[in-house]
Amino acid sequence: MKNRLKVLRAERDWSQSDLADHLQVSRQSVNAIETGKYDPSLPLAFRIADVFGLPIEDIFLREQ
Amino acid sequence: MPEKAAKVETGFAGRQPGLWAGAFALALCAIAYFEHRGFLGGWSSLPFVAAATLLLFPLTKAANNRQAAAGALSPATRRYNRRMLIWSLSYVLCLGIAMTVRNYLHPQGALLWGIAVLPSAPMLFFVWVLARYVVEEEDEYLRYRQTSAALIGLALVLLAGTLWGFLETFGVAPHVPAWWVVPVWAIGLGLGQMIMASAERRADRT
Repeated sequence: MKNRLKVLRAERDWSQSDLADHLQVSRQSVNAIETGKYDPSLPLAFRIADVFGLPIEDIFLREQ
Repeated sequence: MPEKAAKVETGFAGRQPGLWAGAFALALCAIAYFEHRGFLGGWSSLPFVAAATLLLFPLTKAANNRQAAAGALSPATRRYNRRMLIWSLSYVLCLGIAMTVRNYLHPQGALLWGIAVLPSAPMLFFVWVLARYVVEEEDEYLRYRQTSAALIGLALVLLAGTLWGFLETFGVAPHVPAWWVVPVWAIGLGLGQMIMASAERRADRT
């Protein structure tokens, strides 16, 4: 699934480690989600949405 | 939550678990070779086996360092690595005791059964360690990664075991003891982790 994590991080000047700290997960997890290699569970997707203060659908994009 | 990388060693050997695993395997092969040639055997092998076993300590430390450097060392992973070290030491110890008793006491009956079962006893701990990791790992991606690698190890065991079993049945391959399943699974686990790491690097580049 495509996502806007990289852009949203860049807007806040966060590194992957910074986001990982906010989410309480490993940096490798952030990298895997960001590169589309791994789709997060619904609870983690909600945590990501909470960290950025956005709805889930503004972060994760439906694949056409 | 991942641990900070501040404790990570920067030296080459400090971050290469494969190097230490290779050294450990090489040391065991060398001991087996010298035993086969008659230069070692029984008590004389024990100091060498003990020295080779010490390589498991830097191996575990290097695995921790490498995972920390990759941003993948969770508390559950650290506990898993430490428990696997304990299992490895227990396995070598039990195997050493069993071999020594067999070689020098030539036991029969219940004692023979006892020493035959002894090296398998740490496997109960091994299975518990795997189960605890899945329960304790809070990072879902790391849990997915480790589970996938373990399944690749299982796939290798099933494929190699079935293939070799039929080769034996049809008399075209020599007998291989069933305890080889653990080393084959461990090779598959390592292979699985390499495949996952390679996929991550590919995803990074795209």
